[in-house]
Amino acid sequence: MANYPDFVPYPFQAERHPARHPICTDGREDHRHRVVIAGGGPVGFATAIGLAKQGVASVVLEADDSVCFGSRAICVSRRSLEILHRLGVGAGFDSIGLPWRGGRSFYQGQEVLRFEMPQDDNQQFAPMVNMAQYSIEQTLLDGVPANADLIDVRWQTAVTGMSQDKAGVSLAVKTPTGAYQLHTDWLVAADGGRSAIREAMGLRLQGTSYEGRYVIVDILMKSPRPAERLAYFDPPCNPGSTVLVHKQPGDVWRIDYQLRDGEDPDQAILPEQVMPRVQSLLDMMGETAPWNPIWVGLYKANALTLERYRHGRVLFAGDAAHLVPIFGVRGFNSGIDDADNLSWKLGQVVSGCAAPALLDTYSSERVAATHENLSYGTKSTEFMAPPSFAFDLMRRAVLSLAVAHPELRSLINPRQSAPIAYSASPLNGPDEWGALGPRPGTVLPECPLTQISAGGQRAVFLSDQAGHGFKVFVFTADGILPSVWQRGDGESSVAVQAVALDAPHPDVDGVLWDHTGQLPQLLGARLGGVLLIRPDGHVMARWRDANPQGLAAVSTWLQQRLTADLSTSTGVTA
Amino acid sequence: MNSSELDQAYTHLCHTMTRIGEPDAQLFLARLALLAMNRFDDAQAAKAWIDAAAADVSPEVGR
Repeated sequence: MANYPDFVPYPFQAERHPARHPICTDGREDHRHRVVIAGGGPVGFATAIGLAKQGVASVVLEADDSVCFGSRAICVSRRSLEILHRLGVGAGFDSIGLPWRGGRSFYQGQEVLRFEMPQDDNQQFAPMVNMAQYSIEQTLLDGVPANADLIDVRWQTAVTGMSQDKAGVSLAVKTPTGAYQLHTDWLVAADGGRSAIREAMGLRLQGTSYEGRYVIVDILMKSPRPAERLAYFDPPCNPGSTVLVHKQPGDVWRIDYQLRDGEDPDQAILPEQVMPRVQSLLDMMGETAPWNPIWVGLYKANALTLERYRHGRVLFAGDAAHLVPIFGVRGFNSGIDDADNLSWKLGQVVSGCAAPALLDTYSSERVAATHENLSYGTKSTEFMAPPSFAFDLMRRAVLSLAVAHPELRSLINPRQSAPIAYSASPLNGPDEWGALGPRPGTVLPECPLTQISAGGQRAVFLSDQAGHGFKVFVFTADGILPSVWQRGDGESSVAVQAVALDAPHPDVDGVLWDHTGQLPQLLGARLGGVLLIRPDGHVMARWRDANPQGLAAVSTWLQQRLTADLSTSTGVTA
Repeated sequence: MNSSELDQAYTHLCHTMTRIGEPDAQLFLARLALLAMNRFDDAQAAKAWIDAAAADVSPEVGR
């Protein structure tokens, strides 16, 4: 037998959860639900918590009895951290996640690229933190008890069939305590890459599957080496291959290496094949600490998506809707964006504040985002796993010229996940501010601000402003709102936030102060301007002059937009 | 060209060469080199870029 270190478990103990059987009559659950979410992964839980934040109850159905096992997503983007903080689970990511901001690429042992992700003094969060998916799921699950009256998690409950009509969706499930049926107004299919819902509905993902295979190995090893993305092309330890290395919390290291043409994948994942390659990589890196393997798996890049994500009363999200290549870390992160986009829209529809057509914009916005993610992910994959001799030859050309010709290095950059703008969304309103700052559809940039209240001053960030329904910022000199923005008697669906661009008036309360004076540059904000944001922090409209508009006018405008039949303008029915 | 345009051109080149196929790839690259060379400023520039491309391709070429 070959001599290699013993396998050890992940440094994480997953709690096992029992199945629960609801009260049924003739095999059918008595209670009818507003929202059922198939899939208790990151996307399912983020959607459930996002709905609960708006007071909307949901049931989460999960086939397994615990959070996921094994080697899955590990990179959480800054945009995802913003969303997770809004959901009230950010602290867990801050305490467990390993922050990093860049990486290095090597060709035949020589450094050919050093990249940094965007980072400046305005940022609240690191560009990326690494965290194993079991910890990601556990941290989201830890956010459920605070919303226990609105989230009903049903473990060991697998969907075995579904049908829908105009009024709702019927689901057949099986549990260890028996099968039953349940009914819901809306179904969120967040049940992963092998979605049972997608299968039951006869829907197919379309796009490209790549041939190149990667072996994925997680090992346990103590090393003071910092967290960064390391890429080795044609390394001396494994000539002809490409190797990626990422540090995870708990002394876990993720090693991905490309199989060479003609290598048999079944053979390649045998320990006697894997362990010597890991050892020679660690030798090359100068790592001398003892190590143990935890997990070995195979990965093949896919660039696939459903044509649209709303099918009647069924809404697809995450891997159930799209599979994007791991290179560029857009899989988990785009799933969290799906959950963020879907949960506020579904909340609006379920609570009767918006027409169901609003959900067509979930589909059109997120399908467009997937196409953008796929275009970057495809380019990264073509570089990391060249699909033809031509891509392979050109990659050798780039890598061998990159040291002497820095202008070529951008071609090696891994194009990490970045926030996506819904530029063509039918929800986008007027933009009277000109070219500076985020156009409608774009995520708000980050900026430190001071919150002034009767109790004193508090340091906050612009990204904290999302997640509280629709919010309109009125830009003033001293924080005193014009009278048309003072709240009248009736309740408005829009929160008004005064922003002081200069020193705030001593009597103001509940005002945001741009104490660094950056908002005119970052947002394009000018005195008297009005900016409306959506619950997910995307800009919706920018009006030039606060006075003629006023709260009543903006509320009416928003009401019309949310109740309009948007389906004809979204292009999703084509 | 900015980096995004360079990226587009690079990808177009890769796809084109894939379509042409491996047997004719050398001829394709030679023709591309010839067309690009004709856009250099002068013979000296052409020599400099040829030498830059040759550097470190393999031990016996270049230097």
